[in-house]
Amino acid sequence: MAHSEELIRELEKKADVVRKNVLTIFENSQLGHVGGTMSIVDIVTALYFHHMKIDPKNCDWPERDRLVLSKAHSCEAIYAIFAEIGWIPKEKLNSYYCFGSPLQGHADRWCTPGMDYSGGSLGQGLSFAAGMALAEKLQVLRKPPSEFARKYMTRYLTKYNPTYRSYCILGDGECHEGQVWEAAMFATKYKLDNLIAIVDYNKYCIDGPTSEIMPLEPFIDKWKAFGWWVTEIDGHDVRQLVEVLDLTDKLYGDGKPKCIMAHTVKGYGISKWEEAHSHYSKGEEVIEGVKEGRIKYG
Amino acid sequence: MVKFNEYVEIGKPVATADAIAEGVAQAAEKNDKMLAILSDIAFPGLGWFLKNAPDRVVECGIAEGNAAVVAAGLAAEGFMPVIYGFVFSSICRAYNQIRQSILADRFNVKIMAREGAWGGLGMSHNYVEGIAATRVMPNLVILNPADAVEAQKSVVAMTDYIGPVFLRLEAGFGSPPPLKIFTEDYPFDIGKAYTIKDGKDATLIATGYMVTEAIKASESLEKEGIDIRIINMSTIKPLDEAAIIKAAKETGAIITAENHSIIGGLGEAVASVLAENIPTPMVRVGIEDEFSQSGVITEEVDEIKAHFNLGVEGVVSAVKKCMAKSAAR
Repeated sequence: MAHSEELIRELEKKADVVRKNVLTIFENSQLGHVGGTMSIVDIVTALYFHHMKIDPKNCDWPERDRLVLSKAHSCEAIYAIFAEIGWIPKEKLNSYYCFGSPLQGHADRWCTPGMDYSGGSLGQGLSFAAGMALAEKLQVLRKPPSEFARKYMTRYLTKYNPTYRSYCILGDGECHEGQVWEAAMFATKYKLDNLIAIVDYNKYCIDGPTSEIMPLEPFIDKWKAFGWWVTEIDGHDVRQLVEVLDLTDKLYGDGKPKCIMAHTVKGYGISKWEEAHSHYSKGEEVIEGVKEGRIKYG
Repeated sequence: MVKFNEYVEIGKPVATADAIAEGVAQAAEKNDKMLAILSDIAFPGLGWFLKNAPDRVVECGIAEGNAAVVAAGLAAEGFMPVIYGFVFSSICRAYNQIRQSILADRFNVKIMAREGAWGGLGMSHNYVEGIAATRVMPNLVILNPADAVEAQKSVVAMTDYIGPVFLRLEAGFGSPPPLKIFTEDYPFDIGKAYTIKDGKDATLIATGYMVTEAIKASESLEKEGIDIRIINMSTIKPLDEAAIIKAAKETGAIITAENHSIIGGLGEAVASVLAENIPTPMVRVGIEDEFSQSGVITEEVDEIKAHFNLGVEGVVSAVKKCMAKSAAR
């Protein structure tokens, strides 16, 4: 089913609001992982504001879809989303990097309501998401969906749909980690078709282009060889994002884990950050980027 | 004749493998959320799972980092995964995975892992660093049972406790089985040291297999008129500090014994408690800063014990050395 132009526009606007929140975080801290954060904004917007099954009033709803941000340094994008949903108070957006804050320097499940995974040391999130997906498989036949789900979430309850789906966002540089491929094998073995990995393929890691630092290509073939269903899209095209996510739902039941290779731009939307392929920035670079972003996103 | 405390009845050596398998089966029967996480190492009690709940077996193959984090993901959804393997692989190879994915969020994952100086498998497997590696990790309980009875009870206690636990298992391939020490009604409690034998001249604080050598040493010392106290420190973390301080006050000399490096192990943990509370003369028995290797073990010969001086003579001389230090004060 094709999605209406209105819906796409609305999501694009939402993504700009998320970018605005991200700018607020950076404006206050004057530092952060600007590149990888900006490259996933459209992806997480499509997930949280369209595709994923969540309860805005209850971040711990047991039947919610899970999102494991394996590239946990891009947590600023998630904080920006949570502030929109209401899981983090907006006034807390100025507490990034602060002690006791829900905006820790890397995603932290213990500190942030709604955060499904604590990360920072790369390469582990896909294993965690696979564990969650396997848990769903182990539980799904034991427990029927709740009243709440039956009443309000009927569109998610076709007979092929799982209680919850497990999403995982990986960085391309992160895929240098061997454990990603251990998890890829594991997910295929256990037929985790409720596991959807999204690779934020922004082509750069800290030291340079991933193609030079440690070539990943043929990247898609690698996932295929590990037994995954895989496709590639433009990770900044909201229509492509929502359509491919819908497609992964339709394929549920095929016994294959899914990988969406999302081609993105590091530092997306801010020319200075795009040009520099900024990973972690401080001071002037952040201030100037924020200035540019304020003109575009408010 | 050495007099031991209640719940202690010394018998012939008994291997711990069957007791651990029995403990696993007992715990799995009680808790249907308990999962066996395999890393291509024969899981104790696997027979019970295959017969009664094959869907609760998750085989991860030889990929321990993945196994640790998959376990964390399962625990996040309410399961109680139990990982089994060697310390070198299931803990030290997966060290950061355990830290970030299991411990930071206090997930209810249990890790049963083997190590120790003894065994034919050589340097790689005869690890003696596991306690040092894990003592420093927040949110982790570390158990190190002394005999088969305590091993079984600690498996059950570990699964009753909610939170991450490292159950260190020493008896492995070709290492000597510990003596039977405890009676079936011995009350095992996480965090509680147990005084196996009272004594006034010095205190031997031992853990794991070395409790066996401590008991043998106490018999030998008694013949020389030396009356030592033996404390079984089967919980390494949280450490029973009160028992250590009391023993230091009452006996004035502390000797530790462990099948582990003397760096970062029980000895250093005890030393920290003494240094801060009641500085007391002390001697540590364990592996000096050195890798272990393969060694022949028969009824007559034990090359590992001889090399590292972990037998009765080693413990006895450590006790005497410590008592001399104490007397010289």
